[in-house]
Amino acid sequence: MDLQLQLRKQQGEFLLDLDLKVSGERIGIFGPSGSGKSTLVACLAGLRHPDSGSILLDGRPLFDHTSRINQPPHQRRIALVFQQHGLFPHLNVRKNLLYGHQRCPAEERRIELEEVAEVLEIRDLLEQKPETLSGGQSQRVALGRAILASPRLLLMDEPLSALDDDLRYRIIPYLNLVSVRFRIPFLFISHSLVEMRLMAEQVAVLDKGRLTGVVTPEELAQQRMAYSQSGYINLLELGVPQEHRGLLAFPWNGQQLLLSGGNCPEAGMFELSSKDIILCKRHPDAISARNLLPCMVRSLFEAGSKTGIELDCGGNRLVAEIAPDTVQELQITSGCTVWAAIKASAFRRL
Amino acid sequence: MGFSDSDIQALWLTVRLSSVVTVILLLVGTPIAWWLARTGSRWKGPLGAVVALPLVLPPSVLGFYLLLAMGPHGPVGWLTTGLGIGPLPFTFWGLVLASVFYSLPFMVQPLQNSFESIGPQPLQVAASLGASPLDVFFSVVVPLARPGFITASIMTFAHTVGEFGVVLMIGGNIPGVTRVASVQIYDHVEALDYAQAHRLSAVLLIFSFLVLLALYTRRPDRQKG
Repeated sequence: MDLQLQLRKQQGEFLLDLDLKVSGERIGIFGPSGSGKSTLVACLAGLRHPDSGSILLDGRPLFDHTSRINQPPHQRRIALVFQQHGLFPHLNVRKNLLYGHQRCPAEERRIELEEVAEVLEIRDLLEQKPETLSGGQSQRVALGRAILASPRLLLMDEPLSALDDDLRYRIIPYLNLVSVRFRIPFLFISHSLVEMRLMAEQVAVLDKGRLTGVVTPEELAQQRMAYSQSGYINLLELGVPQEHRGLLAFPWNGQQLLLSGGNCPEAGMFELSSKDIILCKRHPDAISARNLLPCMVRSLFEAGSKTGIELDCGGNRLVAEIAPDTVQELQITSGCTVWAAIKASAFRRL
Repeated sequence: MGFSDSDIQALWLTVRLSSVVTVILLLVGTPIAWWLARTGSRWKGPLGAVVALPLVLPPSVLGFYLLLAMGPHGPVGWLTTGLGIGPLPFTFWGLVLASVFYSLPFMVQPLQNSFESIGPQPLQVAASLGASPLDVFFSVVVPLARPGFITASIMTFAHTVGEFGVVLMIGGNIPGVTRVASVQIYDHVEALDYAQAHRLSAVLLIFSFLVLLALYTRRPDRQKG
C-alpha cells in the first residue's frame, strides 16, 4: 500500500494539517486524544470533506480539492472497523459477513466466506445473532465482514479499545494474520504503544493535528521512553512453564525466566518495563530478585533525562533504563558485560 | 350490535381515511424525518417547529387556514382547479389533505427519534462496505427503525381516527363523503340519540385503548447489537 495525503481540515478551533507519505502493509497512526487521528480516518474513508489537499491511495486519487475529485465512501473500497464492532443487529453473523461481499463488484471479489470463517475461527457462529456474541467474537466478525468486502485498505479506528486486555491481545494475531493471508493492507489508529509494536511496520505519529514523524515501532518505543511513566516496555514471548519452588519457570529462547506463581501456567506474551530491570556491573552475592541474567550491552541511547541500555541476554533482547550519571559511575559502554536483575513479580501477561 | 347503516358508513369512511392518510404520511413523513434526524442545517429548528405545530394549534385554526388555502381563491384551490380537479373542501380528498397536515407530527416525530437512535456508525460501516446511500437506507436504516415505523403508523392511524375539528372545518358533514365516526357521534348527541352515540363512542374507545395497549406492551426496541 502506498498512501499519500496532504490535507487541511478545520473543525471549530482544531486544525488538522497533514502532509504524509507512507508505504507498507501494516501502518499505525499513533497519537494522544485530540491529535486528529479520528478526523484523519473520517477524511480517508470519505466521511468528512477536507477543506483542501489531496488523498492518493496506490496512486489513485480519492480526493483532490484542485481537481474537484471526491469519491463517495461506498466507492472508495476502504472498509472500516470501529472500536464498537458495529455489527448490524438485524442480520445474523453470516449475513453480516456477506454484507460487503455481496456489494463488491464480482471481478474484485477474491475472498470467500468459508476461508475467512476458518481463519477467524467463527465458523460455528454463522447462524447466530450479533447480540449473542462475546466482545471478542463480535470484533472478529466485524473484521471478517470488512475483509470479505475485498477492500483496498482496511481502516481500523481504535479497533481494540473496547476490549479488555485479555481479549485485546488474543485479537491481535488475527489482525496480523489477515494482513498476510488475504494480502489486505491495514491502517490502524491507536494510542497504545504496545499495539503499535505488535501490529505496525511503520508508525505515523500525530500531535495536535500535525505529523511529528514516521518511525518504526521500535524507534517510537525508544522515543516515548522519555515521557512514559512505565518506561520502555519489553515484549517477551515465553514458552510453556514448569513449576519451580512456588514460581513458574518460563522458557525464553534458550534461557529461563522465573515468574510469580500467580500467573497462568501457559505460554504467552508478557511485558516487562525497563524500570524493573536493575543493572549490576558485578555478580551480586545476595539479591532478592529471582532472575539474574548475564548480558552484554549492545548499545546505549538517550531518551530525555534517561539513558536506555539495549542488552543482549543470550541472544534475547532487553532494554533497561538508568540515569546518565549512573552510566558514568558504572562505566557502562557498548560491549561491556553486566548482570540484569529482575523480580519474578515484574512481568505482566498481555 | 345495532349500528345503523349511516354508522357503518361513517366507520368505514373513518378506516378508509385513516389508512390513506397513514400510507401518504409514510411516504411523505419518512424523508422529512430522515432529514431532520441527519441534518446539521440551521433550518432544522424551523422545520421541526412547523411539523410540530398541529400538536399545539387548535384544530379549528388549522382547519380555517387549510380551508382558505384549498378554497377557490387559495393557492391549493387555484392549483387543483387549474388541474381540473376542482376545489377540495367538502370532498374526501380535501379531508385526506387536511388530515395529512394534522397528523404529520405523529408520523415524523417517532420516526425521527428512531432514526436518531441508530447513530452514524452503522451507516458509515455500511457505506465503507460498498452500500450507496439509498442501499444503506433500505438495508440498514429501515430494518433498524422498524419499531419506529410501527409506532409512527399506529399513532398516525389512531390520531386520524379521532379527528373532529379539522374534519368539520374542511369536510363538513356529508354522508359517505366526509362524515367520519367522530362527526357521526356528534350528530347523534345533537339529536339526543345517546344510545347510538354510546355504541359508536364505545367502538372508538375500545379501539383507542387497544392501540395504546399494543404500543405499551410491545417488546422493547432492540436496535443496537
